[in-house]
Amino acid sequence: MAIDAPPPAPPPAVAPAAISAALTTTNVQVKSDFRGARIVLYGAVFDTGTRPADVVVLVRGPDQPVRLTRKQKVAGVWLNSRPVVFRGAPGFYRAASNRPLEDIANFGVLRRLGAGLDHLTINAPEEQRVDTRYGVRDMVVSRLGADYYDWRRAVVRLKTNAGLYHEDGRGVRFVDRGLFRAEIALPTGAPTGVYRADILLFQDGKPVSRRSRTLTVEKVGVERALYVWAHSRPWSYGLAAMAFALAAGWAASAAFRRD
Amino acid sequence: MDIYLPIAEVAVNAPLIVALGALVGFISGMFGIGGGFLMTPMLVFLGIPAPVAVSSMANHVAASSMSSVIAYSRRRAVDLRMGAVLAAGGVVGSIAGVELFRWLRLLGQADLVVSISYLLFLGVIGALMLRESVGAILRRRRGDPAPPRRDRRPVWLYGLPLKMRFPRSRLYISVIPPLGLGAFVGILSAIMGVGGGFILVPAMVYILRMPAGMVVGTSLLQIIVTSSLTGVLQAGRNQTVDIVLALLLIVGGIVGAQFGARASSRFRAEELRAILALIVLAVGLRMGLGLFFAPEEPFVLLSGMGG
Repeated sequence: MAIDAPPPAPPPAVAPAAISAALTTTNVQVKSDFRGARIVLYGAVFDTGTRPADVVVLVRGPDQPVRLTRKQKVAGVWLNSRPVVFRGAPGFYRAASNRPLEDIANFGVLRRLGAGLDHLTINAPEEQRVDTRYGVRDMVVSRLGADYYDWRRAVVRLKTNAGLYHEDGRGVRFVDRGLFRAEIALPTGAPTGVYRADILLFQDGKPVSRRSRTLTVEKVGVERALYVWAHSRPWSYGLAAMAFALAAGWAASAAFRRD
Repeated sequence: MDIYLPIAEVAVNAPLIVALGALVGFISGMFGIGGGFLMTPMLVFLGIPAPVAVSSMANHVAASSMSSVIAYSRRRAVDLRMGAVLAAGGVVGSIAGVELFRWLRLLGQADLVVSISYLLFLGVIGALMLRESVGAILRRRRGDPAPPRRDRRPVWLYGLPLKMRFPRSRLYISVIPPLGLGAFVGILSAIMGVGGGFILVPAMVYILRMPAGMVVGTSLLQIIVTSSLTGVLQAGRNQTVDIVLALLLIVGGIVGAQFGARASSRFRAEELRAILALIVLAVGLRMGLGLFFAPEEPFVLLSGMGG
């Protein structure tokens, strides 16, 4: 006799895993004593299941076009090549994760998210055009071709040396079950503007939850006033700076007068 | 004690910058040069972006030249009329030079032209000055009589029209050579980011044959005009003058220049020239020889999008 088998039980309703995070500072003020800043990010993973979870934190600063040149030997002398411009390169980039990114997700996923220095999206370069204003005709815009990766690696290397790009496969630490912490170190040369921190939760190599936080780096006080003055009224700024210099020179001469 | 520079957007060690300003100011007051050819490479070496270093340096050069030119004019060692003619040429030259430099930067060849200019001009002038001044020192040591001063001034200097009297310098020459010299120095100063005294001083001695006592004070006058103009142009066109950096340099520079101007009277003229020649040669070789060695890092970030 066949007894109707009970229909297979539906899998228990599992709330999808979620992530939450907050920055200890959301506004970094650049003053005369500014020597970089250290921002702590705290967050928690909410997961009723037991699947292992990985956390990736990506911080991207405001875009800063990069112009670079390569030294080439011409007739025994090292000369600059024509400059190449990378538009859309971030002025600051930091990728932190609880274990190396390659172990967390595959190439395609990382590439799509722009996670890690190898996958950072830096817009394709073009050779800089020359203005006709100065009597030089526009140069032919040529593709960099096979050299592209050398140039791209150079951007990342130079920015990393300046402390502006960083990838840390141990930058996210779980301090308690589900509770994690990461540090974002801003160097003195960090550009001002709005930074965006993406906090991603990975399970089985897939991003399952995402939070975004913004962070503002801005000049304040005298530094801001001078910066704004220099850029909004450059001629009056220049005249004032020079008048001050000449007056200082005259004053010193008067002060040191011995007779 | 570090301080953050609002335009350069880097932090620098304030006492170090002040000391650097004082050192260059001392040299400036002593030799009657702006000192830019020393200051610009040093600031860049300290990590300040080159355009900001060049532009802010113009303020420093103007201040320390101002401070020492007053000391010279009290000793009646400034030919105002000659200074005005040189400066008129310098104004034209530095405006042209700023445009030329912008064009070179668009082409990405500014570095090359700067290196070559340093090697060529500092190298040649340093070598010539060294040869001449060492010769003079040796002659004096041996007790030889000074060689008969070749007063046969170049004929072209006198054949040109537009003659003008320069009573202080006891000269009656055409204004074309000093105008041209001023313009040439103006162009170079915009390209090399210097005041141009290291070219002006020897040119005034050997080409214009001005009395040695007048040369330093008069060249300082020309440097004030050229560097003031450059500083204002740089701020207006490129927004690259960092007033905090300039302030630090000026504090050191004006004090240093006072001591320099005073110290210069304790040395013989040919000894001063020999020391200056060695400094000029060293900087020229340091800047220029980079062209011939393989760079450690073949890629270089260029600062600023505008060039």
